[in-house]
Amino acid sequence: MNTIEEKLWNYIDGTCPPEEQLAIEQLIATDDVYRKKYDELLRLNSELDMAEMDEPSMGFTYNVMQAIRAEHSLQPLKSRIDGRVIWGIAAFFIITISALLVYAFSTVNWSAGNTVNIPVKVDATKLTGIFSGPVGKGFLFFDVVMGLFLLDHYLRRLNLTKQQ
Amino acid sequence: MVYNMQSKFSDIELIQQTLGGNQSAYADLIKRHQRFVFTLALRFTKNREDAEEVAQDCFVKAYRSLSSFQQQSKFSTWLYSIVYTTAMTFLRKKRIDTSSIDDDETYLQLENKPGSFDENNVENKSRSYYLNQAIGQLLPDDAAIITMFYKGEQSLEEIAQVMGIEANTVKVKLFRARQRLKEKLERNLRHEVKELI
Repeated sequence: MNTIEEKLWNYIDGTCPPEEQLAIEQLIATDDVYRKKYDELLRLNSELDMAEMDEPSMGFTYNVMQAIRAEHSLQPLKSRIDGRVIWGIAAFFIITISALLVYAFSTVNWSAGNTVNIPVKVDATKLTGIFSGPVGKGFLFFDVVMGLFLLDHYLRRLNLTKQQ
Repeated sequence: MVYNMQSKFSDIELIQQTLGGNQSAYADLIKRHQRFVFTLALRFTKNREDAEEVAQDCFVKAYRSLSSFQQQSKFSTWLYSIVYTTAMTFLRKKRIDTSSIDDDETYLQLENKPGSFDENNVENKSRSYYLNQAIGQLLPDDAAIITMFYKGEQSLEEIAQVMGIEANTVKVKLFRARQRLKEKLERNLRHEVKELI
């Protein structure tokens, strides 16, 4: 059984069915107890509606944005690089190594018996040419970047361990 | 859709801009919701410094998981559920009892209220001051429900979603919270009148 107050709050909030809404409306109009209570609750309701909200400090938005920026800059490189780039690099190496292996096995003379006859003759003069060319430079550049990345990763972990 | 003076874009548009890399769009989103988030946090912490910390933490958390916002509810409802969880965790850490039991324990008064409210002269105190004081004396759960219902433009169903309870339970809790608020308000006003006499 609902109390008068409960019924009136339901009426004010509009959470009761239409027929109950009508019944309460009639009670407010005819019953002094209901009317008095209704006026009291309605006053509290409008005061709650008009109550002022609290204001944070002036620099609140700035502080939040600073915290977000700081967090963003602390993010490890791994999570900032698009995963597709990492997978692309991995795929490149896998394909290159696989192609080299396929080529190597296809050129092996399997009918030569127990002795493996590797037909590839390595010309040392050609190798120096490769490593001084753009391919070699690119390879070295990639090595330097990877080295820096691993060093950064290592230093971050070291820093984190110190903080803990 | 929520619009205000600070930005002509809706919450959803601002979220899309933020996800597209425009950080100033998120700053607009903060400006739009900061007053309510701070007020709600204050209902739990009862202390402006802690409330600011909790509110800041909530906006950072919301930024982090913005891409997971499914848009199945209002952004404000989603944000308030972050505030509710963060504030509850904060209270648990501070070991404050948050259960909605009816006790006479008076909670800590709000600190650093605006200067005009610090006056002891009752004539200078408006009824809204007493109302805020009474809300501040309520248990965090009660104060949060009242704040979400009246200032957060949240329906009973949305509050239920924020608090992780049934809408009917929210209705009962809201009724009890308003009853307690009325009692505290009357008690505070009676006390002031007695002091004057």
